[in-house]
Amino acid sequence: MLSLSPSPSPPPLSSDSEDSGAEDDGLIISASSPSTDRTPIPTSRRQPSFSSSDSLSPPGLSTYHSELATSPITSVFTGPSTPSTYRMQPLAVGGGYTRPLPRTARLQQQQQRPRIGSSVDYDGIHEPPSASHMSPAQLYTTASGQLFHAGKVCIALVGLPARGKTHLAVSLTRYLRWLGVKTHAFHLGDYRRTCIPNEKEVPEDYFMVNASPETVLLRQRVMAACKSDVFKFFDEERGQVAIYDAVNPTSNGRRMLHKEFTQHGIQVLFIESICDRPEIIEANVRSVKISSPDYIGWDEKEAIKDYLRRISDKIPHYESLDETEFSYIKLYNAGERILLNNTRVGYLPNRIVFYLMNLQIKAGCVYFARAGRSTETRPKYKSDPHLSEEGLDYAKKLADTLLEHRRKEHKALEENGESVAERELIVWTSTRRRTIESAAEFENRGFSCRQRSQLSQLHPGSCDGLTREELEQTFPDEVENHAKDPYRHRYPRAESYHDLAVRLEPVILEMERIPNDILIVAHVSVLRVLYGYLMACQPNDIPKLEFERNEIVEIIPSAYTNRVKRINIPGVAPSESSSII
Amino acid sequence: MGAYSFHVENVQICVVMVGLPARGKSLIAQKIVRYLTWLSVKAKCFNVGNYRRIETAHPTADFFDVNNSEGERLRKMAAEAATADMFRWFDQEKGVVAILDATNTTKARRDWVLNLCRKRNIEPLFVESWCDDEDLILQNIIDVKTTSPDYVGQDPEQAALDFRNRIRNYEKVYETISERELTYVKLINVGSQVIINRIQSYLESRIVYYLMNLHIKPRCIWLSRHGESVFNVEGKIGGDSDLSPRGREYARQLPGLTKSSVGDQPLTVWTSTLKRTQQTAKYLPYRQLTWKALDELDGGQCDGLTYEEIEERYPEDFAARDADKYEYRYPGGESYRDVVIRLEPIIMELERQENIMIVTHQAVLRCIYAYFMNVPQDQSPWMEVPLHTLIKLEPKAYGTEVTRIKANIPAVSTYREKGQSALKK
Repeated sequence: MLSLSPSPSPPPLSSDSEDSGAEDDGLIISASSPSTDRTPIPTSRRQPSFSSSDSLSPPGLSTYHSELATSPITSVFTGPSTPSTYRMQPLAVGGGYTRPLPRTARLQQQQQRPRIGSSVDYDGIHEPPSASHMSPAQLYTTASGQLFHAGKVCIALVGLPARGKTHLAVSLTRYLRWLGVKTHAFHLGDYRRTCIPNEKEVPEDYFMVNASPETVLLRQRVMAACKSDVFKFFDEERGQVAIYDAVNPTSNGRRMLHKEFTQHGIQVLFIESICDRPEIIEANVRSVKISSPDYIGWDEKEAIKDYLRRISDKIPHYESLDETEFSYIKLYNAGERILLNNTRVGYLPNRIVFYLMNLQIKAGCVYFARAGRSTETRPKYKSDPHLSEEGLDYAKKLADTLLEHRRKEHKALEENGESVAERELIVWTSTRRRTIESAAEFENRGFSCRQRSQLSQLHPGSCDGLTREELEQTFPDEVENHAKDPYRHRYPRAESYHDLAVRLEPVILEMERIPNDILIVAHVSVLRVLYGYLMACQPNDIPKLEFERNEIVEIIPSAYTNRVKRINIPGVAPSESSSII
Repeated sequence: MGAYSFHVENVQICVVMVGLPARGKSLIAQKIVRYLTWLSVKAKCFNVGNYRRIETAHPTADFFDVNNSEGERLRKMAAEAATADMFRWFDQEKGVVAILDATNTTKARRDWVLNLCRKRNIEPLFVESWCDDEDLILQNIIDVKTTSPDYVGQDPEQAALDFRNRIRNYEKVYETISERELTYVKLINVGSQVIINRIQSYLESRIVYYLMNLHIKPRCIWLSRHGESVFNVEGKIGGDSDLSPRGREYARQLPGLTKSSVGDQPLTVWTSTLKRTQQTAKYLPYRQLTWKALDELDGGQCDGLTYEEIEERYPEDFAARDADKYEYRYPGGESYRDVVIRLEPIIMELERQENIMIVTHQAVLRCIYAYFMNVPQDQSPWMEVPLHTLIKLEPKAYGTEVTRIKANIPAVSTYREKGQSALKK
């Protein structure tokens, strides 16, 4: 966030021990808050109800906090320039999760189809999943509503501050939700800040092993509040994976945690993030910890040193995981080395490790672009037309615009004094001529272009070639069913968006791994699903996402939230939606 | 060409097995080859033992003693011959993943392999199987002494004793991997601990993920096509038709047929989303799950046509499909390759699960069968899989055993031989 509580120097030690959570969140939001400027959304598209003063919580705080939010947390969270779009509605009447305030909407506003009241230019990863939540790539559910009979799992993070735990918690949440695992991250730091709103009132010995009895009581109160939400998530909200984001520095504390969760019938999987390369820790501190205004004017090296000194003063005792009877994963230097202990317990740990092998801290950005117009006005699924003259013109403008945009961005970075090499750009298309030819300009200019069969469009089945009106006449019942469950419903012989999402999983993991920037030119249905993953959209929003032909959509990743930016392609007409399902 | 769908980067990988004898290295190597080949990633195993046997067919344990310089020389020669062939394969046949199946138990030997790979820009991925679980080792020894060509025709007791001595000779010089700069995965006691170090590419992560999902408990997989459908009788492909009367009879007999093979073991049944597989599985008294990924190969524009009509309307397509059935994609539909890609999560889940019965369609069944039986791509689309037959697959260490159980209910044949015109009929 942009401003921590205005306090005189020396700077308060933010992100101390149970760490991460909202403090990190706050700081990371500060790093990403330019999104308000960087996301050029016409104000006319904004929902009128925004106001920057009517909400209290940052996105990291769900209504799990509601019972705790007796004291104002505004001192920590509210900054005048925190974008209002990050705010959540305070509290729902009658419990349960609140839906977030409508965000900037881009959902098919030009169309007559019913709109839903939420937006998608917003990374939904911090919203709690609803009780009936189904995920984009969920293969099937079991009678219990859970995936693969994997049981209830608590992933307890272990690690000192600045070891990338927040990034880990957020990324895992994104991937697991995508797979269909109802997942929520609980940041213990959030609970501490709610219980002790003023950072300065946190006792000096708060993180110490030999803390005073009062401090121990206080600590227990904070932990009890957090754990009670975790149990509520499992018991009342059919949660399957809770990510307990805390430092968990002592073996004793971990044993107690393990015992308590196990008694509740919850498996515990510890994931420890360890760094033994100072440059990684320093990069973490630089990017998320000292971007706070409190370090403004400090020499960067001094600020990093100061921050790390405070950490080691505050948390002098740290024991790495060594409890071999537990299931755990140790992640060294952001995945350079992964150690698994006793993780043969099931599907989820394996899946998590697979994901961790591909997870990169600094992923490049992803650009989405539509294919140009073809020689057929309404190309059928089975026809494979070439681009029209207009389409060829589009292909050229697409390349010009994107490459110019990248040049400018890079130049801006250099002017900021950052001497970073321009990231390599690679291009992926589907196997259809429209997309291949739309990317041909990039190939001509020496960029690597790959065709991928997984990127082919949603199969329209019997709806192929129909207009909206014809669809309604031919399959009136199906249209009605579709409206009830647009994500999962299959028109006759067609793929659902869910089918598409499952088929796209390898593409998604490669997106996570590849450090380069990637341009994906594909059918709108494919772009919707990939966007839905990166921005953690609600499944039912995904089929309604719009991608206009005169825009390149850029997703900029960062540890806490991903951001969207839209790049206009001059001289190209915005397109009406090309897909009826 | 988006040919290697799981092969993104232009990398060539050499999977270097590491471990003492009887640690399941060859089994792992075979499985990796099977999995990757099935995904159309060109993979091949180079077993140093096979090269050594050319000179020394039935060595005794002494041959493997570090102090036996002649043995050492012959073994080094075998390693050189195997790696030479391997690099030739990378070069000339554009191989993607080679598995160097040998003990590679010393750091010196690994450095030697590493340097050879580095010179050629090939990424080495070391896979070490480390085991001190005596029961597991014993079981492997029993397996080896009965199947290894080194001990053909020898007294099993004598073979076991000699093999133990051979292992001891290796143990004297064994250094487990600790080189932090290497890309490796170390499987400790069949995965009770795993160390994954410096994974460099998506393809490597897939290989490691696959290794993590393998289990060695005995289990079986049963495969069946759906019963004869109305479209089968009419000679049409694809569609979503109901079962014919004979198909319904198969559905009624399937529980008895299944029981005779499965007995009282627990079983889960997987079907596709199409009516004919669900109608076929209707009477099976087991837990059932429906997977879209098990739906039949999509015939696109040809869906619902007879082969005769296809040949008439799309003569060129008809010929193109015969020329390369695996790659041929129906206009607007799917190829066998497309089907394999969408079946990949199913295979991963099958590796994790125990007894499973799959009721699915001809093309899908051919693809799954090809995975377990290592059927090459030019043959798998042409395999004959008759209707009303239950196929039992029993994966064993060195291959999969197949049993076919016929239901004795007549059905039309949906099989068309390569090059056979539908019109001549």
